[in-house]
Amino acid sequence: MTLIELVRKNLFRKPLRTILTVFAIFIAFAIFGVLATFQNAMNAGIDTAGADRLIVTNKINFTLQMPIAYVQRTRGVEGVKIVTHADWFGGYYQDPRIFFAAIAVEPASYLDIYPEYLLPPAQRQAFISDRTALLAGETVAKQFGWKVGDRIPLKSNIFQQKNGSDAWDFTLVGIIKGETARVDTNFVIFQYEYFKETRSFGGDTIGWMIVKTQSPKDNANVMKAVDVMFANSPFETETQTEQAFAKAFLEQAGDLGFIISAVVGAAFATILLIVGNTMMLTVRERTNEIAVMKTIGFTSQRIFGLVIGESLLLTVIGGALGLLVAWLLSFALQNATGGAFGPMTFTPGIAIWSVVLMAMLGLLTGLIPALRAMRINVVTALGRK
Amino acid sequence: MGRTFTQIAAVTMMNLRSIPDRLWTSLSTVIAVAMVTAVLLGFLALANGFQSTVQGSGSPDVAVMLRKGSGSELNSNLTREQSLLVEEAPGLARGADGKALVSPELYVVVDGIKKSSRTKANLPLRGLGVRANQVRSGIKISAGRMFTPGTNELVVGRAVSRQFEGFELGRKIRLAAQNWTVVGEFEAAGSVFESEIWADVAVLQGLYQRGSSVQSVRARLDSPASLEKLKAYSEADPRLKLDVQAERSFYAEQGKGMSDIILYLGWPLAIAMSFGALAGALNTMYASVDARMREIATLRAIGFGGTPAFVGTMVESLLLSAIGGVVGALATYLLFDGISAATLGSNFTQVVFALKMTPQLVVQGVVLALVIGFVGGVFPAWRAARVPLLAAFKEQ
Repeated sequence: MTLIELVRKNLFRKPLRTILTVFAIFIAFAIFGVLATFQNAMNAGIDTAGADRLIVTNKINFTLQMPIAYVQRTRGVEGVKIVTHADWFGGYYQDPRIFFAAIAVEPASYLDIYPEYLLPPAQRQAFISDRTALLAGETVAKQFGWKVGDRIPLKSNIFQQKNGSDAWDFTLVGIIKGETARVDTNFVIFQYEYFKETRSFGGDTIGWMIVKTQSPKDNANVMKAVDVMFANSPFETETQTEQAFAKAFLEQAGDLGFIISAVVGAAFATILLIVGNTMMLTVRERTNEIAVMKTIGFTSQRIFGLVIGESLLLTVIGGALGLLVAWLLSFALQNATGGAFGPMTFTPGIAIWSVVLMAMLGLLTGLIPALRAMRINVVTALGRK
Repeated sequence: MGRTFTQIAAVTMMNLRSIPDRLWTSLSTVIAVAMVTAVLLGFLALANGFQSTVQGSGSPDVAVMLRKGSGSELNSNLTREQSLLVEEAPGLARGADGKALVSPELYVVVDGIKKSSRTKANLPLRGLGVRANQVRSGIKISAGRMFTPGTNELVVGRAVSRQFEGFELGRKIRLAAQNWTVVGEFEAAGSVFESEIWADVAVLQGLYQRGSSVQSVRARLDSPASLEKLKAYSEADPRLKLDVQAERSFYAEQGKGMSDIILYLGWPLAIAMSFGALAGALNTMYASVDARMREIATLRAIGFGGTPAFVGTMVESLLLSAIGGVVGALATYLLFDGISAATLGSNFTQVVFALKMTPQLVVQGVVLALVIGFVGGVFPAWRAARVPLLAAFKEQ
């Protein structure tokens, strides 16, 4: 009988106990997988930020406006490749509780600056040439079941039209897919020109600018040059890298990282105890037979391996099941939240971390019982009764 | 009957006295249950703290008026004509001079630096009308004084100066491209107002090129019932047609969304963890029954019934999990109660609140712990009650 076979047989000698222990491990890894998926969603904006992209906002606060003339002036700054601008519309479709970003943009430059938004050339052309065109991210289109060609009325909770209505009519001309699953597509975009001409207030102002530099090396110089250019004007600016902006934005929600680590920590501390405890019980119950095994020539190392192998097998079975369920749940969560928290993606990174955790948990819980088993004294053990 | 009771008491005591023999196993159950309780109570305290801050904010006899459909003060916009019309409305409380207690207000967002993370966060800067003091009740200037209308003076909520940099009394601070002086700090019974910065509405109108327009109008009602009169008045005038709400229900609605999200996260996580802890509890109790197999069988042989064995095991399991529940609740209380946290509220600005444990929450945590103890005990107890007599003579 090989060592592995022996480990396997040992594991299922008390099936109920094994099943319960595996179940506890399963729960902990499922919690880890789901929360990591959630964290992925929250961090998507930071992780997919372009290294050569900068965000220019009003210095007072990013919810305030700046003149559209800033776009041309910024285009003249050395080291700048593309400049585009955007406005927060505060839009919703039928139900204000279903969140997505609705943004008024300069069509061509906006699509140029975000190459991670994939779109067929014909749809791109339609968006640029049709004043009332709307492009929807895949997440939004899926959420509402929109198809290209649909007429979509969007309401704003900020703006009103000059005619007093708070609804704008658009035609959906295309659907944007993300280059990877982590690219957030919970947004719609439409032409700034249409928005500017119809809104009752706001005039020739824009919300923020996005700047693409020639290379990330130019970032620092461009950031400084832009802010200096607009200093001492009624609309001072603050330029940050896209990543820094996304990070600060997420910070506003609170210390989510701490909450997630605390829950995962509690879940793992719990199973560490449960599994460790089970392994101790197991070794104690088998004192006699381990003594017998030693008598018939099993080395201490093999005994050690036998116990560690058993705890590793436990954590790997439970952990793999937990990951599988977390992976399945990631799709359900994406559907349930409609992408409101960002794209819920189960990345390979989560699986790699889980394997590390399984190994650590298996070794840690098996270590003390294995040492104990190794040190069992044949004479005392067999003479115990 | 009396005999059964004596037997139950005797077996239960034997069970409990033998816990130290299984110290580590028992301890692991206690800690596992404590962890579950702590996670649940942590989330509940978070949701409860946020909700009581936001919902405690409104007064039932203050009306908030916004542009129809705007949903929040930040998105609302009202003309001077509209705020003047509101002053003529019926059902409003009036001051000594006979004028209606009405405060036209601006609500703008400025950047503050969070002390905890040193990152920028949105803070609300509210411009108050001259009669704002009489409209709101329960506001107390706890240090310094109120701002002087027409000047660049600010008063800040207690939570703002606690959580954000540079708002100490007497400090000069640059907000909205202007230099301001912090002249006072106010308390508002722990409500969202404590997360706000207040200045004179006229000063802000000039600064933000708002002319004479405002974002909301607050009015003190002569009684909560007068809200309907005010609503009817607003609906009847095509120049008004505002969203009229009692301040209390306005904030109650805002508090609900966020605390619901916290609860939707907290309960499923705690329940999932409970299943893990349950598996641990079952293992512990099965081990306990197995260890006492011979003892139980012997008792059966000398005439004890199955019930005492059942009850003894149940009591042991419930006791362990109850200790776990209490330890978890105590730990949450010591670690988290009163801790200050901040998140984005529905006005897209920071709401500072304190995690808050209440006896009701502790009860929920302990109930969850006892459910784990019950389910974790009942199956092993069943096994204990059915130990065959022969087990007494089996080699162990």
